[in-house]
Amino acid sequence: MFFLTYVRRELWRRRRQAIVIALGLALGIGLVITATAAAAGVRNAQGNVLKGLYGVGTDITVTKKPPAASPAAGTRVQLGNGGARVCSNGACHTGAQKIDNLRSPAYGPIGESSVASVRGLHGVTGASGGLALTDNQITIPGTLGPSTRMPSPKSITVDGTDISHPELGPLSNGTISSGRGFSSSDANSDVALVDANYAAANSLRAGSKITLAKTSFTVTGIVSQPQSSNPPNVYIPLARAQALGKSNQDKSLQGQVNTIYVATASAADVGTVQHELSGLLPSATVTTSSSLASQVTGSLANTAKLANDLGRWLSVLVLVAAFAVASLLTVAAVSRRVREFGTLKALGWRSRRIVLQVMGEAIVMGVVGGAVGVGLGYLGAALIRKISPTLDATLTQPTGQHFEGMGPNGPSSSSPTVSHTVPVHMLPQISLPVLALAVGLAVAGGLIAGMFGSWQVSRLHPAAALARVE
Amino acid sequence: MYTLTDVNKIYQKGRRTVPALRDVNLAIADGEWLAVQGRTGHGKTTLLQMLGGLDQPTSGTVEFDGQNFSRLREGQLTDVRANAIGFIFQTFNLVPTLSAADNVEAALIPLGSRLGGRRSRVASALDSVGLGDRARHVPAELSGGQQQRVAIARALVKEPKVLLADEPTGNLDEGTRDEIIDLLETLWRERGLTVVLVTHDSTVARRAQRVAVMSKGRLSIQPGSPRPATTS
Repeated sequence: MFFLTYVRRELWRRRRQAIVIALGLALGIGLVITATAAAAGVRNAQGNVLKGLYGVGTDITVTKKPPAASPAAGTRVQLGNGGARVCSNGACHTGAQKIDNLRSPAYGPIGESSVASVRGLHGVTGASGGLALTDNQITIPGTLGPSTRMPSPKSITVDGTDISHPELGPLSNGTISSGRGFSSSDANSDVALVDANYAAANSLRAGSKITLAKTSFTVTGIVSQPQSSNPPNVYIPLARAQALGKSNQDKSLQGQVNTIYVATASAADVGTVQHELSGLLPSATVTTSSSLASQVTGSLANTAKLANDLGRWLSVLVLVAAFAVASLLTVAAVSRRVREFGTLKALGWRSRRIVLQVMGEAIVMGVVGGAVGVGLGYLGAALIRKISPTLDATLTQPTGQHFEGMGPNGPSSSSPTVSHTVPVHMLPQISLPVLALAVGLAVAGGLIAGMFGSWQVSRLHPAAALARVE
Repeated sequence: MYTLTDVNKIYQKGRRTVPALRDVNLAIADGEWLAVQGRTGHGKTTLLQMLGGLDQPTSGTVEFDGQNFSRLREGQLTDVRANAIGFIFQTFNLVPTLSAADNVEAALIPLGSRLGGRRSRVASALDSVGLGDRARHVPAELSGGQQQRVAIARALVKEPKVLLADEPTGNLDEGTRDEIIDLLETLWRERGLTVVLVTHDSTVARRAQRVAVMSKGRLSIQPGSPRPATTS
C-alpha cells in the first residue's frame, strides 16, 4: 500500500518526465506492433497468393526443371524484309500463318506413374498430377515492311486437371459460378472450364467455344477463384492436355505430368515428406509454400521487404532511443533525489527496498507506455488497413517462343515471357503473442531504465547522500 | 549508551587530507541530553553521523549499547538505525510527494509492522507533536515549524532509544525555535530518550544537560556540565 502510494505520488510529481518516458516507450511499442502487424498481413497475403497458385489443401508441389531446348526445338519466327519464316521441329514455312501450340515451357515432364509412388509415401494423404501449360497463339502476316514490329503472342495459361482428384490442384480453390464442373465422363472430351476473369475479358460463357492447340473446346462452366489467387485461364481434362501438349523439346506429353500436388497429414509432416520426395524423385524440384514465397515479386514482395526490414529496424531504433531516454531521465530523477534516498537510508530503509521503489516507478511507466503503445499499434494497423493500396504479386514464366528479326538497328531477338499479376489486399493482423511481446518490451524498457537508477541508488553512501545540497 | 574511543575521521579531498574528527573520546549515558556546539565545518555533523552509524571512523571505535559499529555489516547497521535511532535534520528532509502521515509512516516501513498498526502509531505520533489535523497535508502545505514537527514525529514514531538532531532549529525563526525545543524537551522527559543535539545556537545548547564543543575536530565538554535540563 505504502509502496503504491509512494510510486503514484512520485510519478505524479514528475508527471511531465513520466509522460515523456511513457510516450517514448509507447511510440516504440506502437511501431513494433504496427510493423509486426503489417508483416503478418503481408505474410498472410503472400500465403493466400501461394495457396491460390496450387489450391487449397496442397502442401507441397513437385515439378522438374525443363530440359535445355535444342536449337531446332520450339517455334522460331524469323522476320525479315522478305516476310516471315516460321520454323517448327526443323520444318520451315514462309508466308501468312497462324501458330497455336500448347507447351510446357516452365516445367519438365514427370512420368504419371510417379504420382502413384508419391501417394504411397508416409505422411502423404493425397497426390494428383497435372499439366501446367501455356497455349501460344500468334498470327504472322504474309508480308512485312521494314518498320513492321514483331507480332505479340497471345498466351493462355492452361491447366490439365486430373478429374479423378478434384480435391487437389488449382481447380480445388474455385467454385463454379455458371454452367457445370467436370464429370468423370469428360476425361477424354474436348471440354473446358474457364476462369471468370478471363471469361469476362474474352466474352466467354458456358457453351462458348475456345481454341487450344488448334482444337476447339466447349466451355462447360465458369470458375470463380479467390481474388488473391493466380488461377490458370482455362482448365481442360488431363488426358486431353497430355494428348495435345508438347514439352519444350517438342516431345509428346502422353503419360506425363509436369506438376504433382501433394497433401500431407499435418504441417509437421511437410519437412519429412519433402525429404522423402527428394529421394523418390532426385531430379525434381520439391516446393513448399515457404520456398515458393521467394519466387513472388511485385509490390507484395516489396511491401514484405519493407515491412520486414524497414519496419523492424525502425522499431528497433525507436525502442533503443526510447530505452535510452527512459534510462537517462530515470538516472537524472534519481540524482535529484539523492538526499531523499539518503534520508530513507537514515530511517533504516535497506538499499534493496529503495531499489524496489525506483524499479517500481520505472516499471509503472513501462506498463503505461506499453498500454498506450498497444493502442498506438492498433491505431497504426487500422491506418495501414485504411490507406494501404491494393498490392500485387507477379509470377513470370517463359512462353517458349523465340523471335529473331532484322531492324534498322541491326539484328534483334527476344523470348517473350508471360506474367501473372495477382491483386492482394493486405490486412494487418495483431496477434496475442505480439501483444505479449509488446508488453514484455515495455516492462523490459522500464526494467532497463530502473536498473540504471537502481545501480545509482545501491552505490549511495548515506552520509554523502545527506550532505548533498539540492 | 554510547562510548567513543579515540575516534578520528579523515576525508580525502584530492591530494589533501581533511581531518573532521580528531581523537574524540566521549561517553553518553542512557537518557542523557547532550548538546554539541561549534562553528560550521568543525565536525559536529560528522560526529552525529558516527553516532547514527551513517559513516564509519577512520580509526577508533564507536560503541552503541555494547555493539561496535565498525564490526557490524551494513545490513546490521541499517537494522540498528531502523529500530533504535531517530534522526532530525536542519532542512527537515521530508519526502515532498508524501503527506505528513505518509512521511511518518516511512519510518515504520523497515520494521515490517502491519498496516493497521502503522496507521494508529502514525496518528498517535502526529497527535503528540500537535499535528493530528494536518495528517493529509504534504510538506509544501506546512510551515517550517510544522514540517519540523512532522520530522520529529517521524523520528519518534518507532520509539527509538536515541534521537540525533542536526541543527533542528537552524531554519526556524526564534518563536518557532523555542516551540520546537520545548517539544523536544517534553518528549525527552516523557519518553526517557537519549538526545544528542547539534547546534550552533547557544540558547538551544543551554537547554541540554551537558554541552560539548567541537573545534577543529576536537571535542571538549564545557565546564559546569553535567547539569539537569531546565525549561526556559
